[in-house]
Parts: sequence; structure tokens; C-alpha cells
Amino acid sequence: MTDDKDVLRDVWFGRIPTCFTLYQDEITEREAEPYYLLLPRVSYLTLVTDKVKKHFQKVMRQEDISEIWFEYEGTPLKWHYPIGLLFDLLASSSALPWNITVHFKSFPEKDLLHCPSKDAIEAHFMSCVKEADALKHKSQVINEMQKKDHKQLWMGLQNDRFDQFWAINRKLMEYPAEENGFRYIPFRIYQTTTERPFIQKLFRPVAADGQLHTLGDLLKDVCPSAVAPEGREQNEPRLKTDSRSEQE
Amino acid sequence: MEEDEFFGEKTFQHCCAEFIRHSQQIGDGWEWRTLKDSSEGYMCKTHFQIKPETLMSHSGASACVQTCLPIEEALELPLDDSEVTETTTGSQVIKYEYHVLYSCSYQVPVLYFRASFLDGRPLALKDIWERIHECYKTRLLQEPWDTITQQEHPILGQPFFVLHPCKTDEFMTPVLKNSQKINRSVNYITSWLSVVGPVVGLNLPLSYARAASEDE
Repeated sequence: MTDDKDVLRDVWFGRIPTCFTLYQDEITEREAEPYYLLLPRVSYLTLVTDKVKKHFQKVMRQEDISEIWFEYEGTPLKWHYPIGLLFDLLASSSALPWNITVHFKSFPEKDLLHCPSKDAIEAHFMSCVKEADALKHKSQVINEMQKKDHKQLWMGLQNDRFDQFWAINRKLMEYPAEENGFRYIPFRIYQTTTERPFIQKLFRPVAADGQLHTLGDLLKDVCPSAVAPEGREQNEPRLKTDSRSEQE
Repeated sequence: MEEDEFFGEKTFQHCCAEFIRHSQQIGDGWEWRTLKDSSEGYMCKTHFQIKPETLMSHSGASACVQTCLPIEEALELPLDDSEVTETTTGSQVIKYEYHVLYSCSYQVPVLYFRASFLDGRPLALKDIWERIHECYKTRLLQEPWDTITQQEHPILGQPFFVLHPCKTDEFMTPVLKNSQKINRSVNYITSWLSVVGPVVGLNLPLSYARAASEDE
């Protein structure tokens, strides 16, 4: 893990330059200027956009404001997906900055989860970490941690503190010396072309013969349509992984 | 992947198939939905409930008696004068959808549900909460394994409410151990759903239990 420290830091500190514009039908008392922000790839929209909210609410009346939500080219953005995932899935082939539209009314109930508070984001994040550990360690590592360790993981993410986060996360990324890896690899594959939101299956890091599985093995197994058959020239879809506590 | 687990996906599908077979016999409305190009699938049921307006406006003990009646029963009730004026408008018919999915991470079934008015407006959790019988509310507040949160349905990608699965095997293990001890077969899905279902307004007729012990 220490050899990969540079990679871990690059992933953690990844940023997406974003331009937030208020939806044209929102009612304002004066013109709303766009707001520019560098968004952390590893975080969540509703966790890092307090300044965006304040900026636009300054030109609106209280009664015209309800729950904030974001949209890109007509697609409501799921705040519970990591920012980097949303960008890669929807906007990676467009020119920067990423242009996001901000809404304060007509919350799309059928598409988006509500985000009533920071606690909801924390609960969602911890739920993902726990599910990943269920796959990696049968939940043993996460359950043995104290509440304060869980809190430190969350605070590290919330406050963009790499060292604080990884002090705890490294325990979630270890496995016993006698094993060759985790029990199962926690992964999700997202594609815009499929109906279901993601593919998630049980996948062992080591094959029956003891060979370590590669990313290619995983893709061939769970998402064969994304992989070119042997010996054929084909446009391979670009693969981006967002490594946080869930993935190497 | 491999089925070295206690309750693997194949077992899940088998239990659901048995469960649905009985559901079809008694007209209980459960169906199996498969995913395109996949062996995966889930169980689902939709039902409608009417809430008579008059009972909601009472304060005190009578309000706690949540008579959520299935439509067929409600229409058979003799209407007294006060009820006649409160005709059941579209806004008081609620559509409940229940989905039973398999979690490969926790190796247990998970209950997803949502409710909406007939015009499509979804019910918020607090609206659903109000319609849950009082005795289950107490249990919900006391038992942390019954936490309900809003989450994305992993197959449909839409917001649903979910009963958190991480403690399921804690209460299912004694049930299964006991069934082995008394040498009487049990359908995991039937037993599990009979525990978690009523908490969110889903009831199982007793005949499911008899059917489960008959299946070999």
C-alpha cells in the first residue's frame, strides 16, 4: 500500500473545474452570476456545494427556495454517486468546465433521493463502506472499529484530510498475510448504455488455480460486452476507476 | 459466483419460486421479474389501500387503529352517515409496491418498497410511517435492525425505501436452527417476510406457513 501512496494522493486530490448556473425559470430578485468551483472527485455534490447554495440564495426570496438539486443537460444528478463518477459517466467527453444547472424547485421525486442533511450523506457513505467491508472481510474489520474511527473516516472525507482518512482506511485495505487478497472485490461498474444503474457481483481476487485475477478478468466475467474479443481491433471503452475505500 | 454460502442466490431464487407458487394458489399477487440477459431477478407485488377519511381526523385512541383496508373489503363496509360524505377520492387511494431483492454483499434478501397516490405523487417516509400500525412503530424504534432509509433500487435505479439488511441473519439464524432441530422445513423467504413485512404494511396469510412446511 505504501508504494501506491502517490497514486492514492493523486486520486484523492483529483478535481473537476465546474461552472454552476441557476436554472433560468427560477425566480430571482436580480441576475444570478454563475459560480465556479473545483469539485473533489471523491466527494458528493451535496457535501461540497454549500457555497453554491449560498451564492444563489442571495438573489432569491425564501419562499421560492426548497430543496436544491443539480442537473446536467437535462439529467438530474444523483448526489449519492461520487462526483468523479457522475462526471466520467455523463460529461467526460465535453469541454471543461463542467456546466451544471442548479434548481431550487420541482424536485424530481422519481429520480433523486432526498438529501435532508449532512447526516444523510454520512449515513450513505458509511453504508457504502460497510457494504464494501462485508465483501472484503465479512464485516469483521469495520465492526471491530470504534465509533470514533468511523467518525474519523467521515470527517476525513468531509474536510478533505487525506492523512486523517487513510489512517483508518488503511485498516480496511489490509488482508491477513496467509490470504492473497480480500474475500471478494467490492466493485461496481457503471455504464450509460444499460437500464440497470450498475453491475455488482461476487468476484474473488484469486482464481481457483491460485493465479491473481486482473481487471481484465473481472470485466470479461461480469461485463463481457465491454471487452473486445481476443485479436480484434475494436474501440475499447475507456475505463476509469475511482479508487477510494471500496477499490484498489 | 460460487455458492459456498448459507443463503446463496440460487437458494434465494428457489425459495422465491416456492413462495410465488403458493401466492398464485391463493391469488396473493406476487410475481417474479427477471433481468434481461441475466439469470438474476426479484420478486414483486403491488397492492392498493384505501384509508377512510373520517378515521384520520379523530384524535385519541381511535386514530391509532389504522384501518388500512384492501379495496375489496372497504367497498363491502356498510357506510354510515359520516362516512358517506367522505367519498374516497383519488388522493386517498395509495399504491404500495414491494420488491424482494437478493443482496450478494450480505447474502440475504432485502425488502424495497415505495408508496404513491394514484396521481403518481410519491409518499414521503413520514407519510408511510403514519400508516404503520402502532405496535410496529414501537418495535421499529427499539430494534435497530429495522432501520428504514431511502435508497436507490439497484435494478430500477429509482428511489425506494429499504429495510436495512445488515442484521437480517441475526434474527433469521435462530429460526433456521430451530427448524432443523424440530425437523420441519422452512422457507427462508416466507419466514423472513413474515417478520419484516408487517412493519411496512405487508401481511402474509398464514397459509404460507403451512405451504412452507409441506415443501420438501
